[in-house]
Amino acid sequence: MASVVRGIFKSIKEKGIGNFVRELREEGYVSCLADGNLLQTKIHNIGATLVGVDKFGNKYYEKLGDTQYGRHRWVEYAQKDRYNASQVPPEWHGWLHYITDHTGDELLLLKPKRYGLEHKENFSGEGDEYIYHSKGHTLNPGQRDWTRYQSWQPAKKE
Amino acid sequence: MGLGLLASRALRSSRILRSPSNGGPTYFLRTIVSTPELNNADAAAAVQGNPPPPPDLPKRNPVGGARVHFPNPDDAIEVFVDGYPVKIPKGMTVLQACEIAGVDIPRFCYHNRLSIAGNCRMCLVEVEKSPKPVASCAMPALPGMKIKTDTPIAKKAREGVMEFLLMNHPLDCPICDQGGECDLQDQSMAFGSDRGRFTEMKRSVVDKNLGPLVKTVMTRCIQCTRCVRFASEVAGVEDLGMLGRGSGEEIGTYVEKLMTSELSGNVIDICPVGALTSKPFAFKARNWELKGTESIDVTDAVGSNIRIDSRGPEVMRVVPRLNEDINEEWISDKTRFFYDGLKRQRLNDPMIRGADGRFKAVSWRDALAIVAEVMHQIKPEEIVGVAGKLSDAESMMALKDLLNKMGSNNIFCEGNGMHPNADLRSGYIMNTSISGLEKADAFLLVGTQPRVEAAMVNARIHKTVKATHAKVGYVGPAADFNYDHQHLGTGPQTLVEIAEGRHPFSSALKNAKNPVIIVGAGVFDREDKDAVFAAVDTIAKNNNVVRPDWNGLNVLLLNAAQAAALDLGLVPESDKCIDSAKFVYLMGADDVNLDKLPDDAFVVYQGHHGDRGVYRANVILPASAFTEKEGTYENTEGCAQITLPAVPTVGDARDDWKIIRALSEVAGVRLPYDSLGAIRSRIRTVAPNLLEVDERQPATFSTSLRPEVSQKVSSTPFTPAVENFYMTDAITRASKIMAQCSALLKK
Repeated sequence: MASVVRGIFKSIKEKGIGNFVRELREEGYVSCLADGNLLQTKIHNIGATLVGVDKFGNKYYEKLGDTQYGRHRWVEYAQKDRYNASQVPPEWHGWLHYITDHTGDELLLLKPKRYGLEHKENFSGEGDEYIYHSKGHTLNPGQRDWTRYQSWQPAKKE
Repeated sequence: MGLGLLASRALRSSRILRSPSNGGPTYFLRTIVSTPELNNADAAAAVQGNPPPPPDLPKRNPVGGARVHFPNPDDAIEVFVDGYPVKIPKGMTVLQACEIAGVDIPRFCYHNRLSIAGNCRMCLVEVEKSPKPVASCAMPALPGMKIKTDTPIAKKAREGVMEFLLMNHPLDCPICDQGGECDLQDQSMAFGSDRGRFTEMKRSVVDKNLGPLVKTVMTRCIQCTRCVRFASEVAGVEDLGMLGRGSGEEIGTYVEKLMTSELSGNVIDICPVGALTSKPFAFKARNWELKGTESIDVTDAVGSNIRIDSRGPEVMRVVPRLNEDINEEWISDKTRFFYDGLKRQRLNDPMIRGADGRFKAVSWRDALAIVAEVMHQIKPEEIVGVAGKLSDAESMMALKDLLNKMGSNNIFCEGNGMHPNADLRSGYIMNTSISGLEKADAFLLVGTQPRVEAAMVNARIHKTVKATHAKVGYVGPAADFNYDHQHLGTGPQTLVEIAEGRHPFSSALKNAKNPVIIVGAGVFDREDKDAVFAAVDTIAKNNNVVRPDWNGLNVLLLNAAQAAALDLGLVPESDKCIDSAKFVYLMGADDVNLDKLPDDAFVVYQGHHGDRGVYRANVILPASAFTEKEGTYENTEGCAQITLPAVPTVGDARDDWKIIRALSEVAGVRLPYDSLGAIRSRIRTVAPNLLEVDERQPATFSTSLRPEVSQKVSSTPFTPAVENFYMTDAITRASKIMAQCSALLKK
């Protein structure tokens, strides 16, 4: 506990009090006071190894040793106010769920360049424009043109 | 040990015991037939040797519901097919006898409209007292013949033939366009063996380039020679032939050459395998995905019966429908391949030309309001209506009624000329009828090139000339014929010579029993058309062309709308109406000459394609094409036929008659019909023959009632009526395939 307090004072000295408060808010130390899940993650993080950070900023931690097996990998979401499991990209999903021991950074090398789609989190309940619509769906903006004839263009006037 | 295995063991041992073992070891005999008694022909024959059961079989009907025609009742003979007695006329083949008995014999090379080749051997049947199975397509049936089509020998023969055919046939049915409608596929399922013994490499053949319409995959060819016989016998071009012998045998053009026939697409239909398929249709659809709609072709005046195969909103292909009186089972290349024009250059929104000369899409309400407003501001005699060459009878009736209600009587159909004679129906239809041409023994073609004007009529003439060596005389510009003909002259002067008996060909006409004179519809546009028709009438009178039992005086029309337009009386009041018109209603008319039209005239174009007519238009009203509507069309022989909608209309387009009906309502001169049925009852009062669908209505009065004319023929030679066979109307001009054809095939 004393080391934590010492660390806090050290960083206040380095960054100044304004920067320190802002960082405190961004890292979620403020919202964790009201959010038990986040608070527990923060407490969990103490002494754990940071395995990687994905492109969204989610942090993946691992703590071997005195942790119960099966609860030794976890994620701290980049978003502190609105987080859910679908924010984990597929390359990290396997590592996080003990499907593989390869980290997301390693698996990312296997991702096909040409047709691999960007990961999108699940926007259910966030409004129609966020929801995935199949290519034939009326609300899909990239909908296929099913017109099977070519109309005469008046601009081609002789 | 299973029962089956036991049985096969017993069978094999008995075979070894029985087989005479002619030197070679016979311990391994691999059977390819699953029924054991078929392995031994002798045993099979012995089983069949029993007296056949008395013919108490149920009455059988001929294949396809065909009727048997006995030219001479005395020549009927009786044969037995599978013990069932049938009466057939003398001279029929065994295969035809079987068909009449209701037994469909498998065949590849035999086609009932082509000569007999007898080279595929698929139609082998057993005939009693014949040592070998006989090829039924080439064997004439003899009295008392006992034909067996279902015996083990016949089955084994078919299996053997099928095995040989499949030996060199590629196994590419999944990527073959014929898949699903392939004779070889069907017959190998029905008659073939379940396995083959061929383990070597298959033969492969280089594909031939036959042009933009027919795709060839010659490795699939089974050398039935149907296409070769079709080309020489029906199409009349000696383009295709058989090269090489044995396994080196191929169909080809010998020298690299395109197939230059206007009927070449039909080889796609007669090819029993996927060797000749449609190039534009290649890999586009499977035949079981398509919806067939039985309709009528409108690209020429023949009115060929077609089936429009569509998938969803697209016309995927056009194939012929059997009609013995009109097109038999062939259609021309234009009919078969113009369909891609239906998807290009379509008018899909009503448009108004703004002050800046550009078109702007508007709603139907606005477009009709403007047309109605302008129509009321113009004097009735300055309103002109022109029906296009693809118009159906119903919309022409509606247009005529609308203009008459507005007070104008200036309405005509393009192609009929400015002063057509619609009084005598016999003066503008084909009085002999298309199938009647086969009885003719002398032809006089006046200013018509049937090969490009009406390919199916030309096919009939070719058939007649080939069968009876009928003489053909031709007056007109130098043209391409695919049968023997005499080019008598280029101008109407030659007609006068023939009429006066000074020409050598007049004796040929005089000696003919059933002479036929065919006048082309291109004559309608000539200044001296009455004199030409008078000369033709004189020839007809001198040579006894029109008799009670024979009417050989014909006019060959060019467009699908012409005959119906004349029947409905679409005749302009004055032949100068275009020059003084202030309001022109073009109903799909693209080829009418608008050069003399005053600049301030208001032009309404109602049609389905952005073609020539659109560029002068002030208002465009989008209409549906013939594949999208129901409409009556009368063909050149006076037979009314109905098209049916195969695909939905495009965009905001409407049926022609509905547009005119709506316009009449907006203009305040409401037409008294709201449905096709109501229009047809209106047509009944004008031209009742248009309601006798699918039945040719001959003309009642002969052309001898025509008034005398004092006009003299001019010396101007006849001009070709159709410049380009492949591009004659708005749809064909929009088609890419037709453009390709005219670039490659038109010399």
